[in-house]
Amino acid sequence: MTCEELRGDYGAWALGIADEPERSEIAAHLARECPACTAGVRSAMVTTAAMSGAVAENNPPKRLRRRIVSMVEREPKRGFAWLPWAISAALAIALVSIAIPGRRDTQAILAQQRDMAKLNQALSILNDPTARDVTFGDPAARGRVVVSPSGVVLIAAHLPKIQDNQTFELWLLPGSGDPKPAGTFRGETISNSSSAVYVYQGSTANAAAVAVTVEPEGGSPHPTTTPFIVSKL
Amino acid sequence: MFFPGLILALELSGQHDEDLARRLQRREPEAMKDLYDRYGKLAYSVVLAVVRDAATAEDLVQETFLRVWNRIQAFEPGRGALGPWLLAIARNRAIDHVRSSSSKMDRNAFELDVREHPSLFVDMQHEVENTDYARIIRSAIKKLNPNQQKVIELAYYEGLSQTEMAERLGQPLGTIKTWVRAALGVLREELGQAVAA
Repeated sequence: MTCEELRGDYGAWALGIADEPERSEIAAHLARECPACTAGVRSAMVTTAAMSGAVAENNPPKRLRRRIVSMVEREPKRGFAWLPWAISAALAIALVSIAIPGRRDTQAILAQQRDMAKLNQALSILNDPTARDVTFGDPAARGRVVVSPSGVVLIAAHLPKIQDNQTFELWLLPGSGDPKPAGTFRGETISNSSSAVYVYQGSTANAAAVAVTVEPEGGSPHPTTTPFIVSKL
Repeated sequence: MFFPGLILALELSGQHDEDLARRLQRREPEAMKDLYDRYGKLAYSVVLAVVRDAATAEDLVQETFLRVWNRIQAFEPGRGALGPWLLAIARNRAIDHVRSSSSKMDRNAFELDVREHPSLFVDMQHEVENTDYARIIRSAIKKLNPNQQKVIELAYYEGLSQTEMAERLGQPLGTIKTWVRAALGVLREELGQAVAA
């Protein structure tokens, strides 16, 4: 559609109520930095922003400020900038170890091969152009989850402490219906913080959110505790 | 109808927001406190008006501020309007939650990314600086006829598409589109006149 055909829908689009095909068409024009549509939508955004002035005033609870500030006070200086380096380093170590098997026992080599397979799975999901990438933060944990149609990579820090007979369990939450279990994992202590990089390989169809709970060792078919991570996709 | 006793005002102080955005880009935790103190109440009010559940509103406001924190590097401090950007994210989170809860999951991450991109919230200061939005928008809404008020309410607080409004109100889609365009036209005109005055 042309910009001229779309101009009457800038306001509806800014409000998020435009229908198809105008909705996708305007998004596409904006994505390719169409000057006319960008200017029109920017103008419409002023009206939409102004509407917040018509909302009834409500005081948030004081704890909300603490929750929000605590998210960034605990943030490592470099955030997750270490991730590509960490994956590369781990991959390099695995490759070197396998290349010189005489210096490792069979068990170690098998473990490293498993790690390498896991890294390949993770990279496959991370490189999927359709993958959805969502950060999450909460007093209990913070991190990032990347979800492709074929799997999930969960990177989380500040995980809660759990007992030896407990485990973390990942769940795929559909828009409606029961949570689907997506495997269990444990954290590792890095810089006094329990962290984990967990890779789930399997269909994520219909997943509207992912969640993590603490479960008895071996996992549960249904969540038995309140999730400490819930990340909408 | 819109809520009575509307007393919120957009506090869009351009220079202060520019400084604040730069501090956020430098990852200063104190800046997050200031951001919350400036916009937390307004964001919470917007989200609560949509989701109507205090606990959910808290979660979504937290998610909003985290999103701003994570995406602030794409923001242009000298041109961007921090308040409108943050409030758009807040409302989008709220609408998305309501629609997810009702299984109307037709929005996608790409669309939200485009709708919330900081580049859409630039060069607003000259239009909105020193403008009492709360008063103007209330006055403007009063000038809408009941049908126009209804569609704006359904749009802003429920995020219903125009097709969904047509079904809800039992009106042809063309009629709904006419009402929406007319309503937004009145609001835009009133805001424009106020800025020009």
